[in-house]
Amino acid sequence: MNKLTALLLWSTLSLSLNAQISLGPTVATFGVLAGSTVTNSGPTVVTGNLGVSPGTAITGFTGIAPGGPGTVTGTIDSANATAAQAQTELTAAYNSAAGAAVTATKAGDLGGQTLFPGVYMSTSTLGITGTLTLDAQGNANAQFIFQIASALTTATSSSVVLINGANAANVFWQIGSSATLGTSSTFAGDILALSSISLGTGAVLSGRALARNGAVTLLSNTITTPAGSGGATPTPAPSTLILGAAALACIGIYQTRERLLKAFRRN
Amino acid sequence: MTGHYSRMSWRQTVVGLTAVALVACYAPTLRGMFEQWLNDEDMSHGFLVPIVMLWIVWRERARRRGLETDPNWWGFAILTAAAGLQFAGLLGAGLFAGSVALLVSVAGSVLCLGGLAWLRVLAFPLVLAIFMLPKLAVVYNQATLPLQLLASRIAAGILTFGGIGVIREGNILAVSGHRVAVVEACNGIRYLLPLSFMAVVFAYVSDSKPWMRLVLLAAAVPIAILANAVRVAAAGWVPALEGGVPHAVCGLFIFVLCVATLMLFRQLFNKVYVRYQS
Repeated sequence: MNKLTALLLWSTLSLSLNAQISLGPTVATFGVLAGSTVTNSGPTVVTGNLGVSPGTAITGFTGIAPGGPGTVTGTIDSANATAAQAQTELTAAYNSAAGAAVTATKAGDLGGQTLFPGVYMSTSTLGITGTLTLDAQGNANAQFIFQIASALTTATSSSVVLINGANAANVFWQIGSSATLGTSSTFAGDILALSSISLGTGAVLSGRALARNGAVTLLSNTITTPAGSGGATPTPAPSTLILGAAALACIGIYQTRERLLKAFRRN
Repeated sequence: MTGHYSRMSWRQTVVGLTAVALVACYAPTLRGMFEQWLNDEDMSHGFLVPIVMLWIVWRERARRRGLETDPNWWGFAILTAAAGLQFAGLLGAGLFAGSVALLVSVAGSVLCLGGLAWLRVLAFPLVLAIFMLPKLAVVYNQATLPLQLLASRIAAGILTFGGIGVIREGNILAVSGHRVAVVEACNGIRYLLPLSFMAVVFAYVSDSKPWMRLVLLAAAVPIAILANAVRVAAAGWVPALEGGVPHAVCGLFIFVLCVATLMLFRQLFNKVYVRYQS
């Protein structure tokens, strides 16, 4: 009986530790994706693509009528095949995040806490006042998944800080209703919301604002699509044998030069 | 005369037998070190260290000529301590403990057979052997991530200073649509170890002041860290340098620049020192 309990516990722990989700290749290129509308006021900058599907309305951005102060570094996709594909992939990612095995339950406010990689579930709303620290403990591939049954609301000037190798590309906020980021707040991770996403004035998002059914509302924000470690090219240095041999060769050249100079001066 | 030769050959036999005994006792350690040099690109410079050590021993032959042998019994105490360390290594303390035990054993054997004068003459090559010791996992694992993040941070700073837009996410740099990962092998240790080794050897061959070895060793650390960040920044700036032969050539070229910088540093330091002395 004890063995069976241990086996069950181990299986649960393994499942929890192995919970890895990823965005599809199309939705990963989007900084902002909405189901109904994308509305912007002020000089918002979106690094990546911006799209809407099945809705069509996008307002407040340069490059799409009627124009506006917002800037998108990528393409703007309104109710086209790309946006539809991105929505399909968003639904898949949303379901994966919602189905990940839970490692801990959270409630209320996450401000002032330091969380380690895992899957955190809230049966109601969650808030962030102050600073929430996500510590990857040296594992750049570690994921943080937040399953929030209802809304996520962050306070004015609140922040999500990533430390010890934590990467915004590996932080997922699966939200059962809507997400609201406070004025001048700093947030990290991909927001996968069932309904809408609103960013307060000057809020900075290092991640993606992806809404399945509702609108995405922006107010002078900076949204930077995170660079996932997947696809990044490693840049290892040459082996120390090659470098050591090169160094010894340099010493040899230096010594020869010194000897020749001495001989030259003597003559 | 015959007596002198028989004494010499007897001494050589004892030295030879001691060397064989050390190799036999430390065979698993030596095999482990060899395998690490062969398989770990961070440690492959280990192959060069014994060659340089032997060259220095040969170079110092004049100092050993006429050196009296005065066997010192303290050598046995050192050998016993080394044996204990090797035993701990075999029990599970790991390859590093065994390798340190090997070095201590060699030092103990020199003291036993030749005495303190011989140990003093051979001290530098023995100290140099530190560079061929295997990785101390505890230290390496603790240093890796901070070094990765430091390299990423400096590289991002260099790119920003150069007017190139870069987004840093931990150890990932996103530059103009492509991403560069500062992985473990990019943490700078591959520059740091051979450059430190080079600094000590260079100070030995080019400078009579023993403290210059420490000065150059200290200078090698920031130079290696900065040069590694420059290498990462170069790979971020020019996508063609991200991989393959261009990446390797770029890495080698920047390392040679590091070596040149260290040589220049020695000259400047010496000039300042001479001026200060005068």
